[in-house]
Amino acid sequence: MSSLEDLAEFIVESAVGMGAEYAEARLHTDLRESIIFKNNVLEAFTFEESRGVGIRVLVDGSLGFASTNRLRKDDIKKALKQAFKAAKSTSKLVKHKISMGKGELGNEKVIVKPRVSFTSVDPEARTSLIKETDEEIISSASTFDVKVPARIMTLDTWITEKLVKTSDGASIYSVTPRIAFFALITLFHPQGGLLQRYINLGETGGWEACERWNLPRILHEETSALARVLIEAKKSPAGEMDVILGPEIVGIVSHESCGHPCEADRILGREAAQAGETFLKSDSIGLRVGSKYVNVADDPTIKGSFGFYLYDDEGVKARRRILIKEGVINEFLHNRETASIFGVMSNGASRAVAYNREPIIRMSNTFFLPGDYSKDELFEDVKEGIYVKSFMEWNIDDRRFNQRYVGLEAYKIENGEIKNPVRAPVLEMTTIGLWSAVDAASKDLEFQAAYCGKGDPMQGIPVWTGGPHIRLRKVRVGGMRE
Amino acid sequence: MNVKEIPSYIVDLGRKYGATDIAAKLIESQKVMIRFSNNEVTISKIFHEATIEIFVMVEKHRAATSINTLSIKNIERNVKTLIRVAKMTTPADVYAPLPKGPFSYDPRLLKAPEVPLDPETLSSYVERAINSALESGAKRAAGTLSAFKSEISIATSGEVYASQEKAGLELSIRAFISDVATGHFLSIAGKPEDFNPEEAGRVAGEIARAADNPVPGEPGKYMTLLGPMVFADIVNQVGILSSAFLVDAGQSFLVDKIGEKISSEKFTLVDDPTLAGSIGARAFDDEGVPTRRNIIVENGVLKTYLHNSITAKKFGKETTGNAGIIVPTPWNLIVEPGGKSFEELSAQIDDGIYVTNDWYLRYQNYRTGDFSTLPRDGIFRIRRGEIVSSFRELRISDNMLRILQNIVDLGRSRVWIKWWEVEIPSLVPHALISEVNFTKPLI
Repeated sequence: MSSLEDLAEFIVESAVGMGAEYAEARLHTDLRESIIFKNNVLEAFTFEESRGVGIRVLVDGSLGFASTNRLRKDDIKKALKQAFKAAKSTSKLVKHKISMGKGELGNEKVIVKPRVSFTSVDPEARTSLIKETDEEIISSASTFDVKVPARIMTLDTWITEKLVKTSDGASIYSVTPRIAFFALITLFHPQGGLLQRYINLGETGGWEACERWNLPRILHEETSALARVLIEAKKSPAGEMDVILGPEIVGIVSHESCGHPCEADRILGREAAQAGETFLKSDSIGLRVGSKYVNVADDPTIKGSFGFYLYDDEGVKARRRILIKEGVINEFLHNRETASIFGVMSNGASRAVAYNREPIIRMSNTFFLPGDYSKDELFEDVKEGIYVKSFMEWNIDDRRFNQRYVGLEAYKIENGEIKNPVRAPVLEMTTIGLWSAVDAASKDLEFQAAYCGKGDPMQGIPVWTGGPHIRLRKVRVGGMRE
Repeated sequence: MNVKEIPSYIVDLGRKYGATDIAAKLIESQKVMIRFSNNEVTISKIFHEATIEIFVMVEKHRAATSINTLSIKNIERNVKTLIRVAKMTTPADVYAPLPKGPFSYDPRLLKAPEVPLDPETLSSYVERAINSALESGAKRAAGTLSAFKSEISIATSGEVYASQEKAGLELSIRAFISDVATGHFLSIAGKPEDFNPEEAGRVAGEIARAADNPVPGEPGKYMTLLGPMVFADIVNQVGILSSAFLVDAGQSFLVDKIGEKISSEKFTLVDDPTLAGSIGARAFDDEGVPTRRNIIVENGVLKTYLHNSITAKKFGKETTGNAGIIVPTPWNLIVEPGGKSFEELSAQIDDGIYVTNDWYLRYQNYRTGDFSTLPRDGIFRIRRGEIVSSFRELRISDNMLRILQNIVDLGRSRVWIKWWEVEIPSLVPHALISEVNFTKPLI
C-alpha cells in the first residue's frame, strides 16, 4: 500500500509541477479466475492479471490520458509525459476549456472483506459445482421430455484493488471482490422447437454469494419454467391489453430507458458516435416522462451489489441518485467534468473498468423503486393481459426512446390469475409511452447482474438492474414475428 | 532477458514443470486515440501495454493465463501455478497437441507499414475529418480516431518461434444536421496511403444532410438496400458465429448447416488474413499455425466452420488457422463483390428502404437466427430507384438466415468497415435484400 501511495503521490505532484490544472493517478489491479464449461466439458480454467496505472491530466483546458503496465519510475515518468503530450497536442481543437467541477472528495479506505475467500475454493470444487449445475439442467428438462443440446457456463471471481489520488486532495484505496455466473442454455423439443435463455448472476463479496445462489437449484427451476414454455406455450395474444412486467424486465427498462438517458456525458454528445445521445436535454430536469408511479434510482452504495462502490474513480463520495421521481426527471448522473458544465456537484458516477481506461460516467445499480402493492394485488386487477417474467431479445435506439423487449417466460393473465405460458410476446414502445402506462408497482424488489457497455475503447462494467413487478395499462402487445 | 525472449523462456519453463503442451504469446502495443464531439476534442489518450498470454495442456487438462507484470519472478510463479492448476482440473473430452512446427510464414504478413502515432499528426486528421463533414453541410461532428502498432511474438512447444507486426488507422465520424438527422462513416486502413479522413467526413456529412427532416416510417416488408456499415454487421454475425466453439455452444444459427445452402448464391464470404497491408492481416494464429484464406460461404453454401486444433479434433477436421486458443475467431472478413453500381442497385427498388447504419443487434435465439437491430443515421425511402424522403423510428426485426437467403444483389465497390459496433474488419459492398421486415414502436 505504501509503495502504491508513493507512486500515486509522485505522479500527481509531478503533474502539478509540470503545470497540470488537475491530475489524477489510478493504480488499478484486477486479478481474475474463470472457468469455462461447455456441454459437460471443462474447456479451460483461466486466470488473469491486469495491473497498471492510468494517468489523467488537464492542461490548458484539454484532457490527456496515458496508461502503462510498466510501473518502474522511469516508465511512469514517460507515461506522464505522454498524458501531457496528448493533452497539449490537441488543445487547439478544444474550444470550450474543460474544468473539473466540485464534488465531496474523500480520503478513505474501502475494503470489502469476503466471508469465504476465493482462495479457499479450488478449481476442482468450482468445476464440481458447475458440473452438478449442468446435470440439474439436463435432469430438469428430461422430466418434460425436453433436450438441452447446448449449455455454456462461466464462473468468474475477481478482486479489484485501486488507489485513486487526485491533485486536489482525494485519495481512495479500495479492494473489491466480485463473483459472477453466466449461462446460455438451449432447449429443444421436437414439437416446441428451440428456446434459449441467458442467465447472469453477480455480486460484490466472496464465495458466500455463490453458496447462497445455489446454482443447481436456480438452473433447475429456470430450465423447468422454460421447458414448460417450450411445450405448453400458446401464441401470444396481440393488441391492446394490460401487461405486468417482472423485475428482470423492469430492471433492464430502468437501465436502458432511464439510466442511460440520464447520463450527463450523453446529454452533452460525448458518446454520439458510439453508444449515441439521449432524448433528454441539459434543461430536462423537471420534464415529465412517465406517470406519478414511476420512481427510478441509481445507487452504488447497496452492500453486496454488483455495481457497488463508495467513492468513484475521481475520488467523489457516491450516493443514491433519484433519476426519475414520480414520473419527472429529477437528476442526471455526473462526473466532475459534466458537473462543472451543469453547475452542480458531481454525484460520483465516474468509473473506469481497468487501469488502461479513463473514468467516464457509468450507472451502478439502477432500479425502479418499489411501490405499495403486493404482487397479488397487481394481478388481481387485470381482467385480460400478459405477465412477462423474463426476456431474451432487447434493444433500444441510440436516443434511448424506441425500445423492444421480447418476452421469454411469459404467461396469459385472465381475471387476475396467471394462466398458460405464451410464446414471445413483443413489447415495442417509446420510453415515454412505456413509463406513462405504469399505474402500479409492487413492494418486492429483485436485482439481476449485467455488464453495461460504453466508452471507446469499450468498457464493460458490472451493474445491477432491478425493480419490483410493475403494471402497464392498455399497451399494445405484438405477437411473434411472422 | 530481452522482452522478446520471454515466450520461448516460458515454453522452456513449461516443459520443465511438466506441461504436455504450452504456448506463450507476447503482445506489445502502442495506441493513440483522440475522441471528439461537437466539433472539438474531448480527450486524447495514449496506451502502452505489454501482455503475456500462456496456454498449457497436461494431456487433456487445460489452463490459460494472461499476465502483464513481466518480471522473471512473476512469470515463473505464474507458469508453475498454471501447470499446478491444469493438473487439478477435470480433463476435457479431447486432447489435441499443439500443431507441430516450425512453419514458414508469408514474409509480407510479418511486417506492418509505419503509421503515424504522434498526436499532432493525428489531431490534424481529426481536424480535416470534422471540416470535411461541416463543408458537406453538417452542423456538428463526433467520433474517434485511433492509430496503433503492435508486435506479437509467439513460442510453442510445437517448435514455433515467430513474431509479426500489426498496424492500423481507424476513423469513425458521425455528422449531425439535427438530433435526428445524422450520418456516419469510416476510414479504416492498414497503411497510411489508404487512410482518408476527409472522405469519411464528407460521406457522413452528406448522409446527414440527405437525412434531414425525417418522418416516422411505416412497418412492413420492404426491398432494402443495406449500406456497407449495416451489411458488415450482418457479415460479422456470419463470420463470428462460424467459430466452431460457438457452434458447439449452440450460440450460432449455423449449427448443422455445413454443406447446406444458407444464403443466396450471390453471397460468398471469405476469411482472408493473407491480404497484406489490410487491417486484419496476420501471418499466424495463436497456436502459431500459418493463417490461410478460408472460404466460409461459397455461392451460398456453408463450406466450413473456423477451427483451432482443439475444435478441429472435436469436429474431425483440420485446423483452419483461426486459433483463438479457446475460441476460434475470424481475422479479416471479405465479401466477394457483385457487379452492380449503387445506382443500379437502387434502380431495382420500386418501393423500398435504404439503411446506412445500424446498432444494437440482439438475438431472440442464436440457433434459429431470430434477431432485431436498430437502423440509425440515414434511413431513406426509395421510390422508383430514387431517394424521396428520410425515415426514423424503424427497427429491422427479422431472421439472419432469411436475410442471407434474400440477398438479391451485391454492389461492385467495397469499403473496409470496423467500428464500435463491428468488431472484425470486413471488406463489404452494398447489399440489396428483399422482404426485410421492419417494425416500429406501438405506443
